[in-house]
Amino acid sequence: MTNDKKDIRRMSGVLGSVQKPGRYSGGEYGEVLKDKSLVKARFAFCFPDSYEIGMSNLGMRLLYGALNSDPDIWCERVFAPWVDMEEQMRAHDIPLCALESGDPLSEFDIIGFTLQYEMCYTNVLNMLQLAKLPIRAVERGEDCPIIIGGGPCTYNPEPVADFFDCFSIGEGETMLNEFTELYIKMKAEGRYSRAEFLHEAARTISGIYVPSLFEVSYNDDGTVKAYTPKYDDIPPRVVKRIMTDMDTAFFPQRVVMPYIETVHDRIMLEVCRGCIRGCRFCQAGMVYRPVREKSPEVLDRQARELYEQTGYEEMSLSSLSISDYTKLPELTDRLLSWTDEKMVSLSLPSLRVDSFSKQLMERVASVRSSSLTFAPEAGTQRLRDVINKNVTLDDLLNAVGVAFEGGKTSVKLYFMQGLPTETESDLDGIADMAREVIEAYYRSPGRVKGRQPSVTVSVSNFIPKPFTPFQWEAADTPEQLEAKQKYLRGRITDRKIHYQYHNVGTSHIEAVLARGDRRLSRVLEAALDAGFKYDAWDEFFNYEGWMELFRKTGIDPAFYANRTFGRDEVLPWDVIDCGVTKSFLLRERDRAYAEKTTPNCREKCSGCGANKLGGKGICCPQTCGEDAQ
Amino acid sequence: MILTEQQIKALPYLDPPKTVRIKFRKAGRLKHISHLDLQRSMARIIARAGLPVWYTKGFNPHPKLVFGVPLPVGVESECELLDLRLDRDIPNEAVRDMLNAKLTDELCALEVREAGAKFVEISAADYSITIKTAGACNELAAEIQQMLTSSPLVIIKKSKSGEKEADIIPMINNVSAKYCADEDVVRLSVRLSCGQTENLNASAVVSALRERLGILSGDPTVEYCNIRRERFYGADGKQFV
Ligand code: SF4
Repeated sequence: MTNDKKDIRRMSGVLGSVQKPGRYSGGEYGEVLKDKSLVKARFAFCFPDSYEIGMSNLGMRLLYGALNSDPDIWCERVFAPWVDMEEQMRAHDIPLCALESGDPLSEFDIIGFTLQYEMCYTNVLNMLQLAKLPIRAVERGEDCPIIIGGGPCTYNPEPVADFFDCFSIGEGETMLNEFTELYIKMKAEGRYSRAEFLHEAARTISGIYVPSLFEVSYNDDGTVKAYTPKYDDIPPRVVKRIMTDMDTAFFPQRVVMPYIETVHDRIMLEVCRGCIRGCRFCQAGMVYRPVREKSPEVLDRQARELYEQTGYEEMSLSSLSISDYTKLPELTDRLLSWTDEKMVSLSLPSLRVDSFSKQLMERVASVRSSSLTFAPEAGTQRLRDVINKNVTLDDLLNAVGVAFEGGKTSVKLYFMQGLPTETESDLDGIADMAREVIEAYYRSPGRVKGRQPSVTVSVSNFIPKPFTPFQWEAADTPEQLEAKQKYLRGRITDRKIHYQYHNVGTSHIEAVLARGDRRLSRVLEAALDAGFKYDAWDEFFNYEGWMELFRKTGIDPAFYANRTFGRDEVLPWDVIDCGVTKSFLLRERDRAYAEKTTPNCREKCSGCGANKLGGKGICCPQTCGEDAQ
Repeated sequence: MILTEQQIKALPYLDPPKTVRIKFRKAGRLKHISHLDLQRSMARIIARAGLPVWYTKGFNPHPKLVFGVPLPVGVESECELLDLRLDRDIPNEAVRDMLNAKLTDELCALEVREAGAKFVEISAADYSITIKTAGACNELAAEIQQMLTSSPLVIIKKSKSGEKEADIIPMINNVSAKYCADEDVVRLSVRLSCGQTENLNASAVVSALRERLGILSGDPTVEYCNIRRERFYGADGKQFV
């Protein structure tokens, strides 16, 4: 009878007192329920941000499916509670629980955190505390769950290395399953202990990084001296894992369907991984190399399956640079053959201006119009050459011309400020480009008559990221960034141009954490004690508070954020091998200062080194040796 | 009975479309989903079920969904109603089964029939309320019974035009409160005015009891009050389906 369905979880009694209880309800169609007495390992997949953000993450959808495809493993979801829920949890002594079973995290075997951005680190620590687990790895006893981190931030996991037992570097679809299977096996054979297990994982599973197995020493000037492995049988550098064949890579048959509105509430069809472009500021463009595409047949089949499982009315083709997908027309033709009839609209993420065409717009604009976003990234051709963004003003004007002819009136442009070699004239260039777009609107004969155009100029702050040609560069100080924002604001006078900018304090902390080392764990721990959380949210971010913590812990943030790192300096992330070599990154950096662009991978291989990872259907062919075949 | 896309396309086309009435359950963990979120999700549920939905004509085609009386968040129901237009002559059992193939037990279709009387005719609903509270006993049940059957029981009702005091006893009928010793809970069933002319939320009744009797004031992780809507009635006193 219906009584059986009563929500019996300990937390359910407080859900009447929080906003959006649907964040904590669980019970969505597509959630995986298993009998806990029949599984051999329980995995808690934690997303250290709100439900709405976490449920929009493609990686989480994939890994949840991959882990649950093994009948021995039950993977459940955990999100950061919103502050009102946290208050209730602390008031009523409710530990952090997984959505599916409602069981506390301490009952799990393995807890995985996906680290999508540096500003979520305080949420990770807060979640561990809410789960009543020791924060530091060394304090965890034999009956504590193993805590593993993954995601983009693990390309330099050092600031959080002391809080994690291990990290999975690279694509996790098979790695996390292997990791959990090893855990099950060692438990079954009675030879499990934390230390034995972590050592064996580091030794036998490629991509597993166990920070406690490396001794870090420092020079007198504060820079890293060396990373020394504690055993000879583990790799001295951890090579990232990739899926070599995307067509046969795991694809989830089910998707957990949120009832409450999430950020990306739509089908996300992952078209390819990697990017051929090589923009010099872009970490994703480097660490996801080499490019691997899925075939249109496979994508069409997967899209239909996703539609049948979700009923979503919108499908977004996801890729770092969708217009570089070699078979885009064939794919959109296949999809449009059924999506129109089912009232499903296609949308594309940010488009490259040099490949934007009328045909493309017509394909994606069917049923419902999608808003148009372009990312020129810099305001002058000189600076665009420095960052290797191979697009011109003409490309942009052509693209917006097509858009205006097609009835669009608003365009969003993404830029960055604080890039290496930037001067005032580059900032002027941003304002000029926006003005040119407005003028292009009025020149366009087919524009919507009687409507005003609107151009949004969104300017983020450049942050040097590991494994990019700009990884050695100093970020602008918050004061410099603020002065530039003020300057640009003064240059934008047209009311049709809307200027958006980012919090400089957040960028500063992000820059510290992005290139940080293990000594930053002191600051993060102090941040936890100070009650910091949701730092990625402007409403919670406390810049003065962070500065105070740096002073108290004796750490100089400028050492990490605003210092030019030495060419020969040992970098904290040198312990990771993401495929791309340091000599390539240095070559690219020199070319940046020479204002020389580098052809994209499809035009000409630049020998970045990522081809050694293998990968089917990529664009690094003959030139890159046999692995690429 | 689950029909394939081909089988559905072979069914007779209906112009005008037919309207079916779906009775569905919303219970367990999904009681925490708001009416607005449910409305938004329903279009997707229907789409993934593969039903031959009739779309509105015009610039932004969408399915036509008409819900019965909105269910407050936190309340379970065994009798929610939804009218849906379909443009193929598909059997009612197929509609139910295809929906349930893409739903879970906590939110599922219980019955599908041809739509009858309009939802405005709904005037009352039965609720089962389970109260787990310190001090639950036969005497408490008797006190509740007494309180809900003797006028006046005045509460502050909030409406668009402001707050006003109202005696809710005329809106409460068929009261039965019993103490259930094996589960240590009080089981209360009531029929409350429900619908567009007069509406009394079950949670307002529970709040009135809480204020006057001091129940449900302990640890919220131990004490609870579970409200379930069981069935609707029309103005004629007959069950509304
Ligand atoms: S090996 Fe060559 S083609 Fe392949 S990703 Fe690197 S630069 Fe591009």
